[in-house]
Amino acid sequence: MQNSDDLDRINRFKNGDTAAFGEIVLAYQDKIYNLCRYMLGNAHDAEDAAQDVFLKAYQALPRFQPDASLYTWLYRIAANTCLDYRKKPVFASLFGDSGEGERLVHDRASDAPSPEQLYHSKQIGRELQISLGKLSPKLRAIIVLKEIEELSYEEIAEILAISMGTVKSRIARAREELQKSMQKFREQNP
Amino acid sequence: MSCPKTELISAYLDEEVRSGDRAALENHLPGCAQCEAALLDMRSLRSAFAKTDRHQAPYGFTTRVMARTAELKSPSPHPLPSGERIKVRGWFIPFSIRFAEAAVLLMVIFVGIMAGSFMTNGSSMAQTANLASSLSLDLFDAAPPGSLGGAYLAMTEASNEK
Ligand SMILES: [Zn+2]
Repeated sequence: MQNSDDLDRINRFKNGDTAAFGEIVLAYQDKIYNLCRYMLGNAHDAEDAAQDVFLKAYQALPRFQPDASLYTWLYRIAANTCLDYRKKPVFASLFGDSGEGERLVHDRASDAPSPEQLYHSKQIGRELQISLGKLSPKLRAIIVLKEIEELSYEEIAEILAISMGTVKSRIARAREELQKSMQKFREQNP
Repeated sequence: MSCPKTELISAYLDEEVRSGDRAALENHLPGCAQCEAALLDMRSLRSAFAKTDRHQAPYGFTTRVMARTAELKSPSPHPLPSGERIKVRGWFIPFSIRFAEAAVLLMVIFVGIMAGSFMTNGSSMAQTANLASSLSLDLFDAAPPGSLGGAYLAMTEASNEK
C-alpha cells in the first residue's frame, strides 16, 4: 500500500535526515495546496493553511505508522486543518482574492481551447466556485475529495474518519445542493 | 424496480455500487426519464469540475515550509550520533540571521524611544515607554541581566524616571 519512495523518505526522516522531509513537501505540496485552495477559496488562506498542514505533519511524522499511506494521512491533516481554519481578517482582507503567484494547471492543456470555449468554461468555473463556497465545509470537503482529487469512497472514508455509508450519502447531498445552487446562479445571471 | 434513491445513482456514477445493484440500475435507467435525467445532471456537474482550475503551490512553498520547520526543535525520536550534525542542505535559516533580525527590531524600538524622549514631554513619553517595555517583555521574556534586552529595559526605566 505504501509508496516505496515515501517509505524511504519516512525512514530517512526518522533517522534524523530532515532533508527527507523537504522531499515529502515537494512531492505533495501541489495536492495539499489545491485542496486547501478549494476549501478556503483564496490563495492567501490556502498557503497559510497548507504550510500549517506540513508543519503538523513534520511534528507528527515520528509517530506515523507506515501501514497507512502517507498521502491519505496528509489529506486527513489538510481536511482537518481547513475545517478548523479561522479566517485571519486583517491579512485575508489585505491580500484579498488576487491569487498572485499561483500557477494554474489545466488537465488537458494540449487541446488548446478556442476563446469561446475558454469563456464558456471560465463561466462554468465561476458558477461552480461560487456554489462551492455556499456549501457547508463538510460537504465541500467531501465533494472536492471526490471530484477534484478523484479519490475512492474507501480513501475518503479513511481521510475524513467516517463510514462508507456516510461518504455515499454526503456525496449525493453535496451534488444535489451544488446543482440547485448552480441552477439558481444561472437564473439570476442569464 | 421502483426508482432508486438518488444516493444509489450518485454511487453508480462513482462506480461504487455492488454488481447486483448495478445490474438492477442498468436495467431501470433506460426506461425511466426521471432517473436518466438525474444521472445526466450529475455527469454535467462532473464535467464542470473537470473544467475548473487546478492550483499548484506557489513558487518557494517548500522553502518557506522548511524555514518554519527549522524554527521547531528536531522531532527525531532517535538522538543523533555524537559529533554528527543535522544535515542542512540549504533548507535552514541560520540562527545568526534570526538573531540579527531580533537585533534590528530592538534597534528600531530603541531609536523610537530615544526620538520620543527628545520630541515629547513627560506624560506622553511615559506612555510610549510603557508601551515599548511591554512589547520588549514579549520579545525578550527571558533576557538575562546584562544582555541586550536587559540593557534596553534599564535604559527605558532610566528615561521614565526623568
Ligand atoms: Zn427511475
